[in-house]
Amino acid sequence: MRSAARFVLLALTALVAVPAVVVADDRLDLTGSLDLRFVHATGALSWLEGGSGALRFDREHEDLRLGRAFLAGRLRLDDTLSLHAVVDAYGDHDRNPVDLSEFWLEYRPFPLSPLRWRARLGAFYAPISLENRGPGWSDVYSITPSAINTWIGEEFRTLGAEIEARWLGSARGYGGDIALVAAAYGWNDPAGVLLSDRGFGLTDRPSTLFGGLGRPPLTFYHDTDHRAGYYAGLSWRRYDRAEVRALHYDNRADPTSVAGSAFGWMTRFDSVGVRLEPTSHLTLIAQNIDGETVIGPFPGGGEPFRMTFRATFGLASLEYGATRFTARYDDFHTHQLSGFYGPPADQVGHAWTTAVQHDVGDAWQIAAEWIRVTNHFPPRANYGLPADGPESQLQLALRYRFRLQR
Amino acid sequence: MTAVTRRGARVTPLDAGVRMLPGMSPPRLRARPSSSLAARAAGGQRTRATVAVTVAFTTGLLLMLLAPAARAGEVAVSVLDRGGHAVEAVVVTLAPAHGVPAIRRAAPATAIMDQRDRAFVPRVLVVGVGTSVDFPNNDSVSHQVYSFSAAKPFQLPLYKGTRHPPVVFDREGLVVLGCNIHDQMTGYIVVTGAPFFGMTDAAGGYRSGTVPEGDYDVTVWSPLIADAATTLTRHVHVAAGGPTDVRVRLAQALRARPEPRPRRGDWEY
Ligand SMILES: [Cu+2]
Repeated sequence: MRSAARFVLLALTALVAVPAVVVADDRLDLTGSLDLRFVHATGALSWLEGGSGALRFDREHEDLRLGRAFLAGRLRLDDTLSLHAVVDAYGDHDRNPVDLSEFWLEYRPFPLSPLRWRARLGAFYAPISLENRGPGWSDVYSITPSAINTWIGEEFRTLGAEIEARWLGSARGYGGDIALVAAAYGWNDPAGVLLSDRGFGLTDRPSTLFGGLGRPPLTFYHDTDHRAGYYAGLSWRRYDRAEVRALHYDNRADPTSVAGSAFGWMTRFDSVGVRLEPTSHLTLIAQNIDGETVIGPFPGGGEPFRMTFRATFGLASLEYGATRFTARYDDFHTHQLSGFYGPPADQVGHAWTTAVQHDVGDAWQIAAEWIRVTNHFPPRANYGLPADGPESQLQLALRYRFRLQR
Repeated sequence: MTAVTRRGARVTPLDAGVRMLPGMSPPRLRARPSSSLAARAAGGQRTRATVAVTVAFTTGLLLMLLAPAARAGEVAVSVLDRGGHAVEAVVVTLAPAHGVPAIRRAAPATAIMDQRDRAFVPRVLVVGVGTSVDFPNNDSVSHQVYSFSAAKPFQLPLYKGTRHPPVVFDREGLVVLGCNIHDQMTGYIVVTGAPFFGMTDAAGGYRSGTVPEGDYDVTVWSPLIADAATTLTRHVHVAAGGPTDVRVRLAQALRARPEPRPRRGDWEY
């Protein structure tokens, strides 16, 4: 974390050092949002509050809440270089009330052939989610993303470099494009710890770069082994109508490495997602993730802990004018193969989510979302709870947003 | 006569930001076909475009009356898809084949390729060689327009409004436009050396207006047409009198039309 912190601080300094003259026409694009919630939840203590609940809120944490406040900005340094930053506040007990969740420098040269290159350097989300396409990685279809993308937001951030080569088919009479993307990164070795502890959940509370999740807080952006991780993916788009993403992720952590309080969890998975927009009203998304995470063995600690996981969701969203209706079904499993005594981390769960969003003018949105999770996860016994924990959560959101371009 | 023609050609561009096509101004009567393109290209500006059509049409009639009794004909092109339905917005060019005296071209014209709702408007534009094309950005977001086509590679650094001078298209060929921010944005500029050109209307038709008698190669093109390019040219003889009909029936199904989908609350940069 120390080196990651140093890196981001350096980058921040660079940002501040950029002379004001750079902020000429069209250089700055800033989006801000404030999201207030009224929550009614039935679950026992949320994992985020030190319990084992799979949702963000619970019986003890409901009523009026801050959903999220964020600023997402892009500053164009010149025509091919831009600097992106997302600053978040969630109004919970995170050690930094305001924190960065993404911060990267992007290089996107003009294409001189149908092959267009793009490179990113810094801290950013891997191109996995097909739901989180709004500014600041916000979900545009519902308040809470799927179990898969909840987890991506919680434990994963690329702290490193990514390169994308996109073949722009339109220039060759083909109505779509194909891209290969690959990244190398460090500082994401603990990814997997949360999944082993809670299983999959559905929250719209991603981690920030310097903060932590849960009580006591788990942090995810450490390098424990000086070994770079990677991901490689393929994406195919056809106009705005279809997008397919496949990605293999491997943080290549040494599962026996330790650095301070952080442990290396060797986590790898394959994600495949499809988004279809067959009409201008309808969006369909499906995604599947399949992988495993391993930690250990430690001296005198017996077998390594090894857990496989798989999650799938299907989403349908209808948009009519200013109103959007979304329904989603999530299905998720984890399976512990070896290691650790106590109740096995064998999760069997599914969730139904329905959401309605209505835009009022350009600045306001009201939204309502209901989630019901059926979750079987034996380690809940560690909290004195039965393995089966049905939970539901109703949220009403009032969202204000602005966009500043200058 | 020429002066009148030029004035006639200028009538169209005046209105509605639809000066797309003045293109080459052949001896006479370019007004009508060009205005039909203009009407389509103008899209949301139908009313003003209609005015342009009317003005241009009137001018055309006027010119017809004034035209000397030279031997001249007309070409009427219709483009139908595999199922026999009209195909709109197809570029049609009429290039004189051997034996036709060179047709004098008017001064280089201007045209506009607009940007709205993250799309080029019109999506397809046909211009004569030497035309300078303006790329105003009337969208709510900035665009970064480029082409790497051999006929005209160029780049317009990120902008809104009308920051850049017009781009002069001085070589024949197809120029595919893109935006480096929005990969889905695609536009096409057909730069032609042919003296007569235009685009099909909603009924799939294009009328050349008066052209000198002789042999022509009539070529159609659209990004939606999947037929081999070699099958899209017709050699015709244009005689004085009634219009020479050219019917192009496509053998392949049209490609899917990419409808831009501006999303509410979608703040992708
Ligand atoms: Cu653009």
